[in-house]
Amino acid sequence: MMHLECSNITYSYPGTDHKVLDALTCTLSRPGFHSIFGPSGVGKSSFARLLADLNRHTFLGKIEFTEIQTVLYSYNLERLPGWSSAGAHLDKVVAKEKEALKQELINIFELSPLLGSRFHQLSMGQQNRINLIRYLLQTFDLLILDESLANVDEKLRQAIILTIKRIFPQKMFLYISHNLMEVSTFCDEILVFGGGSTGKSYGTIQGQNCCSSEAVDRKKVDETMLEIMNAF
Amino acid sequence: MRKNKVICGLVLLAILQLAWGSRADARELTYRLKWLFNASVAGDIYAEDKGYFTKAGLQVKIKEGGPGKDAIKEIELGQTDFGVASADQVIRALEKGAEVVVLFQIFQINPLQWIYRDTLPQITALSQLKGKSIGITFGGNDETIMNTLLAKGGIPKKDVKIYSVRFDFTPFLTKKVQIWPVYRNSQGVILKNRLQAEGENVRFLNPADFGVNFVANSVITSKKMIETDPDIVDKFQTALLAAWRDAMAPANQESTLASIAARDKDNNAAITKLQLLATRELTGTQNFGSIDKDAWIQTEQIMLQEQQIKRPVNIQDWLHK
Amino acid sequence: MLFRRIYQFLLVYFAGISGLLLVKLLVGLSDYVIPGIPLIFATAGETAKGYFFDVLNTLQVTVLGQVISIILAFTVGIAGRKSSWIGSFIKMIAYNIQAYPIVALAPIIFILLGDGFIPRLLIASMICYFPLLLSVLGVMSSPVKDIEHFYIITGKMRWQLEVKIRAFENLSKLATVISGSATLAMAGAIVAEFIAADAGIGYSIRIALYQSDLAKILVALFMIGIVISIYQGLLESASERIQKAWAISSGN
Repeated sequence: MMHLECSNITYSYPGTDHKVLDALTCTLSRPGFHSIFGPSGVGKSSFARLLADLNRHTFLGKIEFTEIQTVLYSYNLERLPGWSSAGAHLDKVVAKEKEALKQELINIFELSPLLGSRFHQLSMGQQNRINLIRYLLQTFDLLILDESLANVDEKLRQAIILTIKRIFPQKMFLYISHNLMEVSTFCDEILVFGGGSTGKSYGTIQGQNCCSSEAVDRKKVDETMLEIMNAF
Repeated sequence: MRKNKVICGLVLLAILQLAWGSRADARELTYRLKWLFNASVAGDIYAEDKGYFTKAGLQVKIKEGGPGKDAIKEIELGQTDFGVASADQVIRALEKGAEVVVLFQIFQINPLQWIYRDTLPQITALSQLKGKSIGITFGGNDETIMNTLLAKGGIPKKDVKIYSVRFDFTPFLTKKVQIWPVYRNSQGVILKNRLQAEGENVRFLNPADFGVNFVANSVITSKKMIETDPDIVDKFQTALLAAWRDAMAPANQESTLASIAARDKDNNAAITKLQLLATRELTGTQNFGSIDKDAWIQTEQIMLQEQQIKRPVNIQDWLHK
Repeated sequence: MLFRRIYQFLLVYFAGISGLLLVKLLVGLSDYVIPGIPLIFATAGETAKGYFFDVLNTLQVTVLGQVISIILAFTVGIAGRKSSWIGSFIKMIAYNIQAYPIVALAPIIFILLGDGFIPRLLIASMICYFPLLLSVLGVMSSPVKDIEHFYIITGKMRWQLEVKIRAFENLSKLATVISGSATLAMAGAIVAEFIAADAGIGYSIRIALYQSDLAKILVALFMIGIVISIYQGLLESASERIQKAWAISSGN
């Protein structure tokens, strides 16, 4: 069973004494759409980058991947090269056998009319959608989405998340977002990173993991949200 | 705005400096040489070193010459009072309206000559230049002189191999060029010495031997200076001529060499001595400092023929009596 | 761009000439020190055509020298972009050599190679090569993380792609450096001709200097200015077109 386990991870950027991660222990025990939630500056993105490229970082502790061979990390503000259109770029970086999936995602992500445009001509939300699509069409086991849906309107964001959950049930996703409602509603396991005056704190909360918008139980979502807020 | 005013002020000051320059105090005279301090300016160094100017009641500062230094321009700009210029410079300047007067002629024989190995037969007739490879500096005096020699010898340019001369002697040393232009009392001495060390002997081709008298360096000043300060000009000329005469006197040789050595940064005692001997031959002994009027007239004619100038300047009118 | 270059040069040139004439007038200098307008025009009539071809001759060396240095600078810059020991070694060598005044080597080049086309080309190339190299090294060794990340993490990055991304993202900077290097190459070619050569406008200026002929020098400077303005203007227009074609003219 796909599994990620971190024990006592302590990490500082080279040349600094500040601990970005301090004795972080957490587990993601199955495939699904998981999340890291917490205020800015608590080390969410640093942890994500660490997972994506273990060999480039020096840290204390242990990270164990089970049935996870390929980890990809995508983030908000990534850009596509400007010398060709978004569509031409997708054609170039997506394998032929994924053509059908590509078309499906393009339609759901509402990108068809934008494929002829250069990346810089798109809005920030459109740019993030194009960027996310190309990652989804690569080979991966764990894909980290670091605010990858920033600036996308709420309705479309929800549709995208539900699509990802539907199409990739066997993959693991780690969604970094500041949208408490969204995380509580659609995510499975939620790693909550706290960074109060007493030091770093980490915990895992079970989200509602809804797979359709109709299945949302508002009361339970509120409870989850409250639980997350109390975890800081 | 304030910055602009400052710049305008500085420009105005610079113009005023150009306009009046050192004329403010005529007693503090400056004398710009044509070349660096070495044996070829022995008399000038000697004059300052032995106090000839001071004895004449003058305070003169000698400034070293070099490539890019033009005494005529400096005289006109009021930056110097006296200077050394070549005859072609003087004639060109006169053609363009400058008012400079030749005080006396340092070299009676033009130091600009051509060196060649004695493996070539001695050149006694210009016709012997036919077929030879000859170095000339395009735009330089040597081009004008060589063109005149070739024309005089009736040799079309296609019958000689002209080689463009640069700053180094390599083409001559490697025998790529047979006849190479040199200043007889500076590079000529060095090259002769160097080749002799390798068992080779050299000869010099002196254009004057073939009737081409192209005047070399002379001491000049402005017409205005002669008109406004004739006494100073007289004193300067007398002092400098005396210094040159004494510097060239064999009896003062050691003293002259010591004065040169004190100024010449690249002094090589043996070479400097040879250069001094060569300079002595060129300055002449009987007619020391005299102006060879015929040679000046011939120089002007040559320049007219070679289209170095477009109209006559009547050079004889600008030679100091 | 082209016309702006030309009229900017003309403005500067005529301002300079006016300044000289003003000094001539105020101080009452002869034509030997500062030539008057009639003499400048007469000299231009005699020499302009010849000087124009001399400048074209120099321009040939300039263009070829610039092309060689661009190729070399990109080759070495690309090789030296990595933070490996070879990259650091190349950077160290480049930074040290560029600090040396290349013109000072010119006499050695002429002694070894004589005068002619090759030494001029070599000096022109060398003078514009090092500033180009430093810019190329700077561009090529600065990752464009927000574009490169995807290729690196998905294992799709190739050196050609890395170079393309970095060059594309810094296109206007590279274009400015390349068009600016035209002036350096021209200066190198002229210096080479001035020191030792048998052709080109630098050689003609040297002859004019022998003859203390400022009028000829002013005509030569005019020709140099016009030709280099046109050349630089063309380079800038070309680089603008390339940038437009790659659609980075706005929003990036």
